[in-house]
Amino acid sequence: MHFRSAWRYFLVILVAAGVALAVVAFLSLPRGHLLMATTTSTRDTGLLPYLLPHFAEEPEGVEVRYIAVGTGQALDAARRGDADVVMVHAPTLEAQFLASGDGRCRNLIMYNTFVIVGPVGDPAGIRNATSATAGFLRIYQNNSLFESRADNSGTYTKELELWTAAGLNASTFGTWYEKTNQGMGATLTIANEKLAYTLSDDGTWYARELTLPYLGLLYSRGDAVLRNQYSVIPVNPAAHPGALAEKALTFANWLVLPRAQALIGAFAVNGHTIFTPNAGDNASNPWACPP
Amino acid sequence: MGVSPVSGDILHITALSLLVSGTSTLVATLIAVPIGTFLGLREVGSARLLRNILFTLYGLPPVLAGLLVFLVLSRAGPLGPLGLLYTPLGMVIAQVVITTPIILGITMSVVSTVERRVKDTAFVLGADRYQLSITVLREAAAGVLTAIMVGFGRAISEVGAVFIVGGHIEGQTQVLTTTIIIDVAQAEYSHALTLGVILLVIAAAIYSLLYRLQEKTLA
Amino acid sequence: MTMSLDVAGLVKSFREREVLRGIDVRVAPGEIFAIVGPSGAGKTTLLRCIDFLLSPEAGDIRYDGQAAPSEPAPMIALRRRIGMVAQNPYLFRGTASYNVSFGLCIRDVEGGELETRTMEALTGVGLAGVAGTRASVLSAGEAQRVAFARAVVVRPDLLLLDEYTANLDPANVNILESAVREYNRSTGATVVLVTHNMFQAKRLATRVALLLEGRIVEAGPVREFFESPRDPRTLAFVRGEYAF
Repeated sequence: MHFRSAWRYFLVILVAAGVALAVVAFLSLPRGHLLMATTTSTRDTGLLPYLLPHFAEEPEGVEVRYIAVGTGQALDAARRGDADVVMVHAPTLEAQFLASGDGRCRNLIMYNTFVIVGPVGDPAGIRNATSATAGFLRIYQNNSLFESRADNSGTYTKELELWTAAGLNASTFGTWYEKTNQGMGATLTIANEKLAYTLSDDGTWYARELTLPYLGLLYSRGDAVLRNQYSVIPVNPAAHPGALAEKALTFANWLVLPRAQALIGAFAVNGHTIFTPNAGDNASNPWACPP
Repeated sequence: MGVSPVSGDILHITALSLLVSGTSTLVATLIAVPIGTFLGLREVGSARLLRNILFTLYGLPPVLAGLLVFLVLSRAGPLGPLGLLYTPLGMVIAQVVITTPIILGITMSVVSTVERRVKDTAFVLGADRYQLSITVLREAAAGVLTAIMVGFGRAISEVGAVFIVGGHIEGQTQVLTTTIIIDVAQAEYSHALTLGVILLVIAAAIYSLLYRLQEKTLA
Repeated sequence: MTMSLDVAGLVKSFREREVLRGIDVRVAPGEIFAIVGPSGAGKTTLLRCIDFLLSPEAGDIRYDGQAAPSEPAPMIALRRRIGMVAQNPYLFRGTASYNVSFGLCIRDVEGGELETRTMEALTGVGLAGVAGTRASVLSAGEAQRVAFARAVVVRPDLLLLDEYTANLDPANVNILESAVREYNRSTGATVVLVTHNMFQAKRLATRVALLLEGRIVEAGPVREFFESPRDPRTLAFVRGEYAF
């Protein structure tokens, strides 16, 4: 009697588990979409939900899904074969990625500018600094609280460049220099809470401005050195056979087409158009993707 | 405020949380309860090594389980060709790894503390090995139910493993806990609180269900 | 149906303490055989050895003249011919009739036959009215009667009773003694009754044995045992004068 019903309970759970697993497995099937590994700033600006559906509507396009992690992790995901294409903004790391054969080719897409944000009261007085480097020097001299991303990101790389250009060594800094090890959005949130300075790309700044009441845009003169170049790199199928190589290449080439570039140029956040499309610069780009 | 670009649709997120954690709990139950009963019935000694392994797994931090599953499921890893990383199925696998030791441990514990008299009585009434196990399990039913509910509670409130293995991909692997993390990083506090309330409601529902079931199964 | 029981030289120790030091006793089929003795003498241990809950260190138990089989299937079959009612029995989670029908479920009896036999057994101990009551709310006397019905509903050929009416009031003792008498009369099954109540032994048993310090000191027909025992210890025990 109840020994048989014990079996029945087990069977019910077994069937339920089977059905649930079937649903989960169905949701996990590869659907021919591209998996892009990108940085947190491309996500935090809101560009991707705006831009990607347009590619999906193209006759040769597909849905593009993405994981938004730090630049370092994005490139590593591609190296492990877990992503089909990367979109990052770290020229040095990108060059290494291409040189090691992990990347197939690279298209320059757009750029925005790094800016220095900080507490509205600007205790270090960088508002009238003549250059970004000078601004950083003032922050150092004032021992003002500074949040560094300290991850393998383009932003962090640029930040270190600026310290070096100011003749300073970031590894000797005191406790005013804090490392968040996180993405741009998270770092801005922390800077807001702690009334600290930080280096940000203007895209993320404008996207988040309204939620950062204690911070202000203090230095935004767009020095040449502050240019933040974004590129797209399809993964090399020779190194990673699983990647959707053809679709990835189609995607990389679509991004530099006039209509995609126009979309990028038109993208506005809180009234600011933050990206400047520069596919034209691919003419002098040795790594540009073949059409 | 509307739906922020990083947060996705609340309904979708809640449904996926329930699906992933529910599935993992069901699978973990199927594995853990029979093994836990079997181990709980065995006299000390033969099961000692297995018990030690189990208690080590008990202490396995969920985020470490997530990391290990990540390394296994990545295309660069041994199960790479299956392409399970960044999918709901991958998340289920990670949560099964985390939840099974919990359910197993509690089941083993309640089964082994069922009075000797229960086994003796069933034995004397002519029960064979299987019937004895079922009888003991039935007497320990309230405890086993608790084990399952605790397992589910752990699964649905877990954040590290599902973040690492799932990747928080919009429309695919975003669950309540990972979304709260991203929301807070983005200072989207009201959205995060909404999701937090949903989690609380789910937890409350589960535990009140547990309470009701326990009342029915206690003598 | 019935069974004969032969115990020879049974030795059982727990952690260096010898409880049974060589038990010899023979129970004929169909008789009600009482074993009396002081607490701690080993009476419960003896019953548990007979019903395979314990393994003896030495000695021999034969059921209908045969040793216990070693293969699992005949072993379970033999076990299912033996029943036991302990003092303070454990009742399973559920109703009284769930408990009584437990042994029938084990033996794959179902449906109408299960229900009929369960109700019969409950009626036999005067508990037809509480069939649907949760076992946990039954009184001590009712619980014991349920345990008895649970043991006999499966018609064991050998019924072992371990002080099964200790701590009960006279009314319940009466019901349970009638029940065992009736069971023995209608089925001819063998009953081994462990008790420290001399009067109960006299009322129910045909033969009695005294278990003292791990050994059977004397065994014989009830009348002789109580009125003219051979061993002086038996006499002393029966009179309540045995000092140990």
